[in-house]
Amino acid sequence: MTYQKREVYLQIEDLKNKISWAIGFRYAFVFLGLFLIYFSHTGNAYAPLSLELIISVGLYNIAANLIYALKKEYKLWQAVAAAGVFQFFDIAAITFLIYITGWVESPYWFLYLVMIIVSGFGMFSYYSFAVFLIAFFSAVFYLGLLLSAYLGILPIYGTSFSLTPDQLLISIYNKAIFTSVAFFLFATTIYYFSKLLNEQHEELFIKNRKFLAALTRIKAIDRMKDEFVSTASHELRTPLSVVRENLSLIEDGIVGTIGPKQKKLLETSRANIDRLAKILDNLLDIAKIESHSLDLRCQTTDITQLGRKAVELLKPKAEHKSVTLETTFPKEAMLWIDPEQILRVFVNLIDNAIKHTGQDGKIIVGIEEAKKEIRTYIKDNGEGIAREDFPKVFERFVHIGTGHETLSRGAGLGLSICKGIVEMHNGIISFESEIDRGSTFTFSLPKIKSNGQ
Amino acid sequence: MDNKKTRILLIEDDQDMAEAIRLRLEANNFDIILAHDGMEGLSKARTENPDLIILDVMLPKLDGFNLCRMLKFDEKHKSILIIILSAKVQKTDIERGKEVGADAYITKPFKAEELLAKIKELINSK
Repeated sequence: MTYQKREVYLQIEDLKNKISWAIGFRYAFVFLGLFLIYFSHTGNAYAPLSLELIISVGLYNIAANLIYALKKEYKLWQAVAAAGVFQFFDIAAITFLIYITGWVESPYWFLYLVMIIVSGFGMFSYYSFAVFLIAFFSAVFYLGLLLSAYLGILPIYGTSFSLTPDQLLISIYNKAIFTSVAFFLFATTIYYFSKLLNEQHEELFIKNRKFLAALTRIKAIDRMKDEFVSTASHELRTPLSVVRENLSLIEDGIVGTIGPKQKKLLETSRANIDRLAKILDNLLDIAKIESHSLDLRCQTTDITQLGRKAVELLKPKAEHKSVTLETTFPKEAMLWIDPEQILRVFVNLIDNAIKHTGQDGKIIVGIEEAKKEIRTYIKDNGEGIAREDFPKVFERFVHIGTGHETLSRGAGLGLSICKGIVEMHNGIISFESEIDRGSTFTFSLPKIKSNGQ
Repeated sequence: MDNKKTRILLIEDDQDMAEAIRLRLEANNFDIILAHDGMEGLSKARTENPDLIILDVMLPKLDGFNLCRMLKFDEKHKSILIIILSAKVQKTDIERGKEVGADAYITKPFKAEELLAKIKELINSK
C-alpha cells in the first residue's frame, strides 16, 4: 500500500469504527422486524410464510455469528465466500419478503437499492466489492422485472400489475414501520460482515506496519554503521594529521637542524602516515560500497577518456619502473557511469598491474565494444597469480604476489573496491592469469539503452 | 601586501594541530591569529580583519560550515579568503564546503606544501 492509500484507508477505518455501534443493534432489529412482519400477517394466508422467513433469517444469522465467533482467522477466499453466501441469503430473504407482501405491489422493492447503498459503504475492500457486485446485479435484475411489469411488457409469474403509482405510494406509507425495520436489518447485516472483513484488513495492516517499522530499524542500523565508519575515519584522521605535520616540521628543519640520517627516518615515517591515510580512505569506501550508500553520480561518459586519463596519471610511475603502458582504444565509447568511480577502477587496476610487473614489462589497456556491453581489459606480462590464490583475489585485506616495496602496499582493498564499483554499475569484473606469464583483468559495463541517452 | 605580512586566522579546536600549523605558517612568514572554537573564530574574523582564514569543520559552539556561510554571506566580510581544512573527506562534505562559499577545501592529513601553495595561490589571485 502506498502512503496515500494507507491514509485514505485509515480514514475509512476510523469512520467504520465510529458507526460500528450499528452492529450491536443488529440482532434486536432483525428479530423485532421479523416479528412485526409476522404479526401484521396474523390471520391471513401469509402468516406461515412469514414464520418461515423469520426462522430462516434467524438461522443464517446465528450461523454467521457462530462462524465468526469460532473461527478467528480467515483466508481471503473464505471471507469472500462467507460474505457472498450471506449476501445471497439476504437477497433471498428480501425477495421472499417482497413476495409475501404483495409481490409487484410490495413496498419493499427499494430494499435492493438499500442493499447496494449499504454495500457501497464497504466498497473500499475487495471483499465488500464482491458483495456489492452481487447485490448490484440482483437488484438490476429485480428492478428490470418490476419495470417491465409496471409498463405491462411482462406479467410476473402470473400476477397482474393492479396498483396505480399513487396506490403504490400509499401502500408504502402504510407499511412505514416495516420499511424502517427492514432498512436496519439490511444495513446492519452489511456492517456486520464488513466489520468481520475489516478485522482481517486490520491484521494485514498491523503486519504491514510491523514490517515497515522493522525496515526503518534496519535502515537506521545501516545509517549508524555508516556514521560510525565515517566518524571513526574522522577521529583517526585528526591525530594522524598532527603527527604528520609535526614530523614534516622537523624534517623541514623549521624547529632546528637535523642530520641526513634523522631526515631519512622522518621521511619514511611520513610516507607511512600517508599510507595509513590511504588505507583509511579505502576502508571508508569499502564500508560505503557494502552498505550500498556510495551514491553513484552517473552521466553519459566517454569511457575511453577515462582510460586515457588514468594512463596519463600513472605514466610517471610506469616509466619509473620502465614498464611500457600501451593503449588500444576505439574512438569513443559512451556509457552511463559515474566517471569518478570508474576512473578509480582504471587507476586501481593499472596501478596493480604496474606493481606486479617487473622491469621492462608491458601493460596493455584496451577497450572493446561488444553488442550489449563495453569491455575493458588491463593485461600485463608480470608475475601472474597462482591458481590456489584465484578465489582470494577480490577478497578484502588480501595481498597476492611477492616482492613489491612495502610502501606501495595498501590494505589489500583495491580490488574489492573495484569489484564493488563495477557491480554497482551492473557490470562484471573478472580475471585470467598464469603464473610468470601475467594477468588480465577485465571489466564489462552494460551499454546505455537506446532510449537512455 | 609587500610590506605588510598576510594575516591568517587559524580556527582549530585541536591544540596540537593548531600549534603545528602555526609553526609551519610562521616559518613561512605569515602573521597568525588563533581561535579555538567557532564563536571565538567568528568574533575574531570580524574584529581582527584577517586576509585569510584556515577553518576546521568540527568545531565546538559553531561548526565550520556555518561559520563559513555567515562570513561569506556578509557583505563586510565576504572578501576574507577561507580555506576549509577538515578531516571530513566524504564527497558530500566537500560539496557542502563549496556550497557555503569556501575558497578551497583541503582534507586532513594534509601536505604542508599543498596548504602553502593554496594560500599563495589564493592571495595572489585576490
